[in-house]
Amino acid sequence: MSGRKDASPAIAEAAVATPPAPRPDDPGATDHLRVASLVLPWNRRAVIVIAVACVAVIASVVAALTLGKLGVALPDLLSVLSGEGSKTQHWVVFNNRLPRGLVAVGAGAALGISGAIFQSVTRNPLGSPDIIGLNGGAAAGAAAVTLVWPGLLPAPVGALLGGGIAITLVLLGAGRGFHAPHRMVVIGIGVGAMALAFVQFAVTRTRREQAQEMAAWLNGSLSARNWDHVWTIFVALAVFGTAALLLSRGLQLVEMGDEAALALGVRTQRVRLAAVAVGVVLAAAAVVVCGPIAFVALVAPQLARRMTRSAGPGMVAAGVFGALIMTVADLVAQYQPWSATLPVGVLTAGIGGVYLAALLTHEWRRGTL
Amino acid sequence: MTAALDAVQGRTLASGPVRRWGLGAGLILALAATALVTALSLSVGTNQLPLSTVWHGLVSPDDSFASTVIASRVPRTLLGLLVGAGLAVAGTLMQGITRNPLADPGLLGVNAGASAAIVAGTVVFGSLGQRAIFVAVPGAFLAAVVVYAIGSGRSGPTPVRLVLSGAAITAVLMAGIQAVTLTNPEVFETYRFWVVGSLAGRPSEIVDMIWPVVVVGLVAALLLGRPLNTLALGDETARALGGNAGRTRLLGALVATVLAGACTAAVGPIAFVGLAVPHIVRTITGSDYRWLVAYCIALGPVLLLGADVVGRIVARPGELMVGVVTAFIGAPFLYVAVRRSGSGL
Repeated sequence: MSGRKDASPAIAEAAVATPPAPRPDDPGATDHLRVASLVLPWNRRAVIVIAVACVAVIASVVAALTLGKLGVALPDLLSVLSGEGSKTQHWVVFNNRLPRGLVAVGAGAALGISGAIFQSVTRNPLGSPDIIGLNGGAAAGAAAVTLVWPGLLPAPVGALLGGGIAITLVLLGAGRGFHAPHRMVVIGIGVGAMALAFVQFAVTRTRREQAQEMAAWLNGSLSARNWDHVWTIFVALAVFGTAALLLSRGLQLVEMGDEAALALGVRTQRVRLAAVAVGVVLAAAAVVVCGPIAFVALVAPQLARRMTRSAGPGMVAAGVFGALIMTVADLVAQYQPWSATLPVGVLTAGIGGVYLAALLTHEWRRGTL
Repeated sequence: MTAALDAVQGRTLASGPVRRWGLGAGLILALAATALVTALSLSVGTNQLPLSTVWHGLVSPDDSFASTVIASRVPRTLLGLLVGAGLAVAGTLMQGITRNPLADPGLLGVNAGASAAIVAGTVVFGSLGQRAIFVAVPGAFLAAVVVYAIGSGRSGPTPVRLVLSGAAITAVLMAGIQAVTLTNPEVFETYRFWVVGSLAGRPSEIVDMIWPVVVVGLVAALLLGRPLNTLALGDETARALGGNAGRTRLLGALVATVLAGACTAAVGPIAFVGLAVPHIVRTITGSDYRWLVAYCIALGPVLLLGADVVGRIVARPGELMVGVVTAFIGAPFLYVAVRRSGSGL
């Protein structure tokens, strides 16, 4: 971390064009990047951390392609990706492992960004979509339109409706908008339990052979993904990830408190509602492609904040760390020595639960809960 | 403001003779409701039987088809009665000793602890059968201690902290259970319905296994009513009145975990019965724990068996596991509990 380049002309312009950074006690962290007429504040440590995390994501996707009995050896990988190589290699990469790896990246990023949005809006790490029942709601919606009333609506629409209903119930139940994260958490646990019950009701209507597969999806699983899943998650990510980026500055100001944000000309309620809508869509998209994977949305933004040491929602960092968590967790789930196949969601739930317990003890040692 | 708050703040309602007569009559009504649900549980199912046939099959069983059907529904119904009462009373005790309106053996990870212990025991020792209870109860107690420790932090437990640490521990334990069951197809077949909570298809010796434990636990809970009333007045007042807050808590926790462990061993981790029933009962009895426990023993089975009967009707020709129905009926009571606890959350 170097000192601020006070003499740079960009910073002088930025000071005029944008409100001051919300954390002036973080000296030297922020530089400003100028692209044409856009002036973007950037944090050198954050950029380095994000770059390293991106490399790690790529490395783990490559590992996913090369590891195992059917894996394509590293030297052959480029030629197989460019269309050469044997039929088996081609099949392994394009029908099996690449879609799976890409879905892991996309879903992880979507969950990370969604988590960052909700944690920012509720100003509490516990306001994550997985804890307040949003993932469960999306899963219930998807199950409703695929198993209970098949063909009524496409699965993504069902997931979106389910997620929307869940968050509405939580907000109505808490009764004080986003200002009572603790109430949201408790109500969310109830909404999540009801959603899970509904999914289980839906599963009982499937045949016995399907049941184990459904049980795996219910925990969140990345097995047997195809290119449809890849397109679903990346189109959602492209549109709504961008929206999240555009909203992040407003969210950062809203985090300072309604009055301060209003004074700076931010329409707080509008920003909040737009952000929540984006967060619901991203979480629902992730649930559609890989089931209600637990705790990635809780952990990724927290990890991102700690690693980049920056305030504010940090959408990009949260997304990259979400992708990293998912790809690494899926690798571990596939190649752990104890059993043949483990749904990745089981692994994230186990680790995430431990993290949640640690977070709880930490938070109330600091007296913030 | 409301009964739950009364319990928290230690206000007890006047208990004159008129009120006592009223509550006694109410208890008889509640028991009548239990009898009605029991009859429904014996008659409703894929083979619908009229209540007169049920009565006939019970008093003078013969070789007829109806008698066989009724006999097959008896263990399930007995399980429902025992587990409903056990879970409701366990929830009441936990709400009393933690003075927390959100306490429930399912929410606070106690049932998950029992389940994880049973699944782990099955992996190590093979099929547990009737011995399941000896693994489940220590598992339940261990989980309760861990959840309480994490939920207490430095400044003592609050409702939200306990619920959250319960959620965290439940997540970890359920992930462990899923990891084991999904990777061992044989274990999965055994636990597929149990892990959701189901009264159906449980072997009939399960009833023999849990009834002595549950009955002893229920009697102990009735005896704890007076100390719990004292405890509700606050630790200092309780001490001034000659009560021993620490001992009451420990006994209450023991009885609650034994009940929750036994019930989980029998039918799997069922949540929200222990939350919903005490909240319903408080609107009738107020916060006197002697009446609360008695009413819970009567009305817990009404909720659980009622949910089981509903599960048999809504998913015809199959049936819905009772744990799924209770989650649907019981989860909204979190909302009630949050609203009742007012600004405390």
